[in-house]
Amino acid sequence: MTKYEATIGIEVHVEVRTKSKFFSSSENSYGKSANSKTTVVDLGYPGTLPTVNHEVINQGIRAAHLLHCDLSRKMHFDRKNYFYPDNPKNYQITQNRTPIGRGGFIEIETENGSKKIEIEEIHLEEDTCKSAHKGRVSLLDFNRAGVPLIEIVTKPCMHTKEEAVLYLEKLRETLFYGDISDCKIEEGSMRCDANVSIALSGSQTLGTKCEIKNIGSIRNVGLAIEKEVLRQEKLLEEGKTLLEETRRFDDKLNDTVLMRVKETGNDYRYFPEPDIPYIVLDDEQIEEALSSIPMTPNEIRKIYLDRGIQKINVEKLIANRVLATYLNTFIETELDFVIASNLLLGDISSYLNKNFMELKDTHLTDEKFLDLVSKIKSGELSSKNVKDILEDVLEKDMTIEEIMKKKNIQNITDTSFVQELIQKVLDANPESVKDYALGKDRAIKYLMGQVMKEAKGSINPKLANEMLLEILKKQN
Amino acid sequence: MSKYLDLSIDEIHQLYQEKKLTPTMLLDEVYARIDENMDLNCFITLCKEEAYQTAKELEQEEVDGPFWGIPIAIKDNIITKDIRTTCASKILENFIPIYDATVIEKIKSSKMIIVGKTNMDEFAMGSTSETSYFGAPKNPWNKAYITGGSSGGSASSVAARMVPLSLGSDTGGSIRQPASYTGLVGMKPTYGRVSRYGLVAFASSLDQIGPMTRNVYENALLLSVISGRDDRDLTSSSKKVEDYTKLIGSDIHDLKIGIPSYLVSDIVSQEVKDVFENVVTLLKKNGNTVELVDIDYLKQAVPLYQIIAMGEASSNLARFDGVRYGYRTKQEGSVDDLYELTRSEGFGDEVKRRIMVGSSLLSSSKAKLYYNKALSIRDDMEASFLKAFETYDLLIAPTTTTASYPLGQNQEDPLKSFMDDVLVIPANMAGLPALNLPAGLNQDHLPIGIQIIGAPFEEAKIYQLASYLEKELALDLEGGKCSD
Repeated sequence: MTKYEATIGIEVHVEVRTKSKFFSSSENSYGKSANSKTTVVDLGYPGTLPTVNHEVINQGIRAAHLLHCDLSRKMHFDRKNYFYPDNPKNYQITQNRTPIGRGGFIEIETENGSKKIEIEEIHLEEDTCKSAHKGRVSLLDFNRAGVPLIEIVTKPCMHTKEEAVLYLEKLRETLFYGDISDCKIEEGSMRCDANVSIALSGSQTLGTKCEIKNIGSIRNVGLAIEKEVLRQEKLLEEGKTLLEETRRFDDKLNDTVLMRVKETGNDYRYFPEPDIPYIVLDDEQIEEALSSIPMTPNEIRKIYLDRGIQKINVEKLIANRVLATYLNTFIETELDFVIASNLLLGDISSYLNKNFMELKDTHLTDEKFLDLVSKIKSGELSSKNVKDILEDVLEKDMTIEEIMKKKNIQNITDTSFVQELIQKVLDANPESVKDYALGKDRAIKYLMGQVMKEAKGSINPKLANEMLLEILKKQN
Repeated sequence: MSKYLDLSIDEIHQLYQEKKLTPTMLLDEVYARIDENMDLNCFITLCKEEAYQTAKELEQEEVDGPFWGIPIAIKDNIITKDIRTTCASKILENFIPIYDATVIEKIKSSKMIIVGKTNMDEFAMGSTSETSYFGAPKNPWNKAYITGGSSGGSASSVAARMVPLSLGSDTGGSIRQPASYTGLVGMKPTYGRVSRYGLVAFASSLDQIGPMTRNVYENALLLSVISGRDDRDLTSSSKKVEDYTKLIGSDIHDLKIGIPSYLVSDIVSQEVKDVFENVVTLLKKNGNTVELVDIDYLKQAVPLYQIIAMGEASSNLARFDGVRYGYRTKQEGSVDDLYELTRSEGFGDEVKRRIMVGSSLLSSSKAKLYYNKALSIRDDMEASFLKAFETYDLLIAPTTTTASYPLGQNQEDPLKSFMDDVLVIPANMAGLPALNLPAGLNQDHLPIGIQIIGAPFEEAKIYQLASYLEKELALDLEGGKCSD
């Protein structure tokens, strides 16, 4: 047992995916030219009032559901008052007293089994504008001002960096698959703060916590926690007192750096936002919001495993939502998911990566994909055939049949053709046929090799093997 | 010079239809009267050029609705596109908005002509209009006296007959109290009746825009124009807008009228009591029941109001920081210096005082004790009012404790000015519609008003009683009319 135990709580802000902002009609978008997506409301102009984009409320309902929170049926917004240039009204509209969700959890799989990471609350709020500093000049871009956010706050219930990383990965996956957020840390649509404290193992009280703000990646959250724990241990060992600090993680230094010592009694003077009446959620609205929740990753995992996809490929698909979402459109069909997933993760992925394309940019239709997979399954197309025709499949408006004809691929399910070919090989290799009859296993491998060679690889080996055995049995 | 401005708006309308008068001619009269009475200091900004431009455009079209070509003055805390909107503050001295408030859109689409922006207490914080950065407006009935506030310029300009109509705003009596001091009809509608979009917020849960006019009928007519649900103001009501003139002129009898007893207690001066008693006698004589009723927490209304209004104001006024618009300090320094200097230099004393008190009241240790508690007592007061309306059709009370008084009298005592509003604040606290009706004159020939308070959205009923009393009392209210 180590001398100290760390306690970690995590706060995550995600930008909610919606057409327009939370409290105005401006477009909710990323990467547009500065201040092009703003209205007088976003600028905190005198006399303006907030409106409520109900799509944000619906996203909140979905998030609360996905994170197993108790939903607040009646809620209001609060003003959080503080002066900062990126805060146009010098107050932020948030939920202090009635967060939309309370008391949820996310289940993670650790080396020691599964663990529920408890979520204290999730609440809705507006984003600030973005500031940039150039020398003595500060520039403000209000495109981000008023973009809807969901803040997810865990209880201080994690004790290792591994748990923190697993929690964040699972949270991101859940919200991303729920269509709640892009969760792109590099674009700022997911931001992580970690609260870290240490105390003597077995101690009932928590140590002094430090908050590490806005960590740039999930991996760095792990690193930051590791370094922060080391820093705190060192200070305690030296007999020093820890101060409540706000720190950041410096990539290059690979360590946490002090931003400011927390002032006591930071007072946001919260009070209920008088410009927005109470919001009361009825069953109908809740049902409507929940009816459009996409499948969760765990639901998808179960389907994939049931349909025979190997665990490693299941995870690869989950990690690639575009492919998984595509594959999921075939859940109601007879499609062979094993062949389909191999195809998607193998040849199709390499093609897309090589050409910097996405699936939607190709000429692959649902019919073609179904046809392709079924022809592989039936043996009409060998893996070599697939490699030969894939470019045409993805680039041309032709059916699989048309492409096969064009590429001159024989109809190898024509058993008489295969039979003829096998007979020709047997006739040419009477010694081996004799060896087979004597029970020498090696002979069958040799004969098979000759058959494939004769067919120039264009027949289904499984089919050929079965027929070869059948013919040999008959001959003996 | 002709005196078309002294005609009713219906008469003006008729002259327009008969092509005997044009909006340009009427504007000539408006600006002549304004020019001759600059000493009243009613206006912060005149928009002569825009007004004549609008008049010319109107003259190219047919005369339509009753407000076609009627001049109106707008309180300077209502946002007007391309017309300077200062809130009577240095911090917005040069602020030219890029959008119109919802009420301004309605004013424009009913073809009224905005002649200027009226003087007021800075950010509507005050009861005498003396906190204006541009100096106090004067009462046309006696130029050494206050107009009341905060809608002092809107009151003064109509009382002096420079314009027939104006818009004010009422957070804690700011329409009714100056209307009482200047002999006007002033209505604070039900909270949510008129959109607040584009009204620079003072106390969001109390603010309402309302009409200030020479008579009851024109007040009701103007309220019909500016009322209605606005999707840009979530606190606006979707309750259907009525024709608020519909009960005007109809008979009054068998009405049950309540008088909140605290509002006629010793806090009211004898001269006001006399005028009020006269009205009560008149009502009783005509077969109506008038009796005292107790409403809970009226005695606490002023401190409750201060807590809520100042708390909200401290947050609403945080946006004036010199970063995006308005005044910015010339001194160099850090961001914190920018805030501190801009706000220190840009706001006047009363505004600073209220921001400081409000910030303190909302701070975490005190919020539960004050703000949250005030909200809950406010709910109780509202419930008590609503209960009274189960018995009574309407409530009446004096509007002010005294008639207007000399300028400068209260400036040294910030609390005294709140006490001026003790009778008008309850309607804001409970979100109720309330109207000031001129009811008499004191010995010094200064007007004294009474308030008629209705249940939520019962404006039409208020106008019914008001028009009846107006006819019965038949006061000569031309005493404020300016020279021309």
